Amino acid sequence: MKVLIIEDNQELARNIRDFLAREGYICESCDTLEAAKEKLELFQYDCILLDIGLPDGNGISLLNIIRAEYKDSNVLIISAKNALDDKIIGLEKGADDYITKPFHLAELHARIRAVYRRKNLGGTNIVAFNEISLNTDTFEVRVGDHLLDTTPKEFDLLLYFIVNKNRVLSRQAIAAHLWGDYTDNLANFDFVYQHVKNLRRKISGAGGVDYISTVYGLGYKFNAQ
Amino acid sequence: MKLTTKFTLWYFGIMLFVLLIGGYIVYYEIQNKLSRVEVVRHQRLNDLIAGQVRAGGDYSNHPTRKRATVTPIPADSVPKGISTFYTRGIGWNVEFQENEYRLVVTSFYLIHGQWYRITTYSFIPSFYQLLPGVVDSFKWIFLLLLILVIVSAGLISKYILAPFKRTLRVIQSFDLKQKTAIRLPDTQTSEFRELNVFLQKMTEKAREDYRSLKEFTENTSHELQTPTAIIRGKLDLLMESDIRDEQAILIAETQNALERLSRIHSSLTLLTKLENHEYEADTTVCITQLTRETLNSFEELIQLKSLTLLTTIAEKVYVPLHPSLADLLLTNLIGNAIRHNVPPAEENGLIQVNLTRDGLIVVNTGRQPQVPTAELFERFKKGNSGSDSIGIGLAIVRQICDLSHFTIDYQYRAGFHCLAVGFTPRVVASKLLQNLSLPLHSRT
Repeated sequence: MKVLIIEDNQELARNIRDFLAREGYICESCDTLEAAKEKLELFQYDCILLDIGLPDGNGISLLNIIRAEYKDSNVLIISAKNALDDKIIGLEKGADDYITKPFHLAELHARIRAVYRRKNLGGTNIVAFNEISLNTDTFEVRVGDHLLDTTPKEFDLLLYFIVNKNRVLSRQAIAAHLWGDYTDNLANFDFVYQHVKNLRRKISGAGGVDYISTVYGLGYKFNAQ
Repeated sequence: MKLTTKFTLWYFGIMLFVLLIGGYIVYYEIQNKLSRVEVVRHQRLNDLIAGQVRAGGDYSNHPTRKRATVTPIPADSVPKGISTFYTRGIGWNVEFQENEYRLVVTSFYLIHGQWYRITTYSFIPSFYQLLPGVVDSFKWIFLLLLILVIVSAGLISKYILAPFKRTLRVIQSFDLKQKTAIRLPDTQTSEFRELNVFLQKMTEKAREDYRSLKEFTENTSHELQTPTAIIRGKLDLLMESDIRDEQAILIAETQNALERLSRIHSSLTLLTKLENHEYEADTTVCITQLTRETLNSFEELIQLKSLTLLTTIAEKVYVPLHPSLADLLLTNLIGNAIRHNVPPAEENGLIQVNLTRDGLIVVNTGRQPQVPTAELFERFKKGNSGSDSIGIGLAIVRQICDLSHFTIDYQYRAGFHCLAVGFTPRVVASKLLQNLSLPLHSRT
């Protein structure tokens, strides 16, 4: 997957680039609207990460151009302003999703995958890993032929794990993913533990391999190897 | 009291004062004039009598002598410098056989070397006879003025105060967030012009301040969130490198602190936005549906904590609230009820959610708070200092309630935390809690 990161903060852009590079994504970054326009003219990207506040203008204006001329690209808005207006305008203008700083890189990755899946897989909404397959339309999980009885949160969690396989996911990142903004995540770690425990039990019970392991002090990891 | 009424009352006072003094002057002047005319007439009469004396002869039955006395007097008893004087006072009226107010005019004449004192008198209206006339006429004048002042005050004030009232209307509809400056009506009255200029400047300043505050909030938000995002990203990357256990703990602790920082920051930013009235309710929101949705999203947490959920939710309850705020309000209230739910010994915890047209009540089992419940609405106040939460959720809840003119009350009763939000001013939150019947089975 080719990703263009339009972000004026070099450090943040590098974080994203480093993280996504491990997924085998080809990442390019630029820090101004002008540079972004140039890159867009020359290359084609599957996904564009667009920061709203850029030194030479508002990212929303670029969104218009992207939607008019590069229809195939997914656009994910990155904003520091958790302002409702930005969110609504951004999504109205044709952005595919919206993420607010500070975000977890795993969360960003999950969002990128989600919009990519929605647009590019043409109807097949199956995310599969070995014997586990998830249907993102019907929210069904199958281990082999066995249909797993999962709660919506467990489904979310498993999808998050599989998208970010082989990565250490902190409890904070998982809590933020499952419950979103404005909930007091600090107190939700117990629930993260409970959900992970239940999920592992259900997968093992259906005869699946227990891929999820605890990473001491930090969180959990879905081991693909 | 209305300005017009005040003015009118003051005018009444002044009118009364002027009319009282005026009445006295009028009375005095009339009395004086009457006396003066009478005195002149009597002087002429005296002169006439003096002429008769000078001519000689018997005039004792002459009409001129009817109220006259002629007395020869010695020269030394004639007063110096005056030839005539008059006195007023009560005198006996022979014709009416009663005392009356009398004017006596005395003149001195030197006739053929002999001094004469000639005295004539007549009866004039007394003080008490004149007064009712004066009072009566002034009564009518006062009445007439009264009517005129009242009528004209109403009409004139309507005309003069019209620009002021228009200004007032403009100011009342002034909104800090409005994009354009206020437009005040032109007026010829200099005071109102001054007021308008002042208001124009003041509202402009307020708008300016509001804009810069908003800008500041947004900038801070932007400037702080970006470095936080960088740190979080670096930690995410660091986590995946080859690290030892003790390093993992360090990273986890840093992450915790960072989480807290970012959450405090976003909550404070949200509070500021609420204070700036950035979320005005322009429509009503169906709180029934939202409550059900919120409870659904918390369903798993409720199950995980093995909490018993009791709900009575009225259908189709609409409240004037911004949808995001309604969501925030419910998430915070129900989230708190789950998070701070501490079941009594050997029993399941309990959550009760009552939604009626009048308000929302959330009850949960929990520990006795260490500070008075009312203080928990303050920022960074926590019922239990050991807990992991930031202590800002209830501050947000209260801010939302204040903004929406809802009432809110929080009580701790026999192991239950009871929180009520009253939607209407008719039924306040504290009253909702009074009428609340607590679930019986787990009361300890």
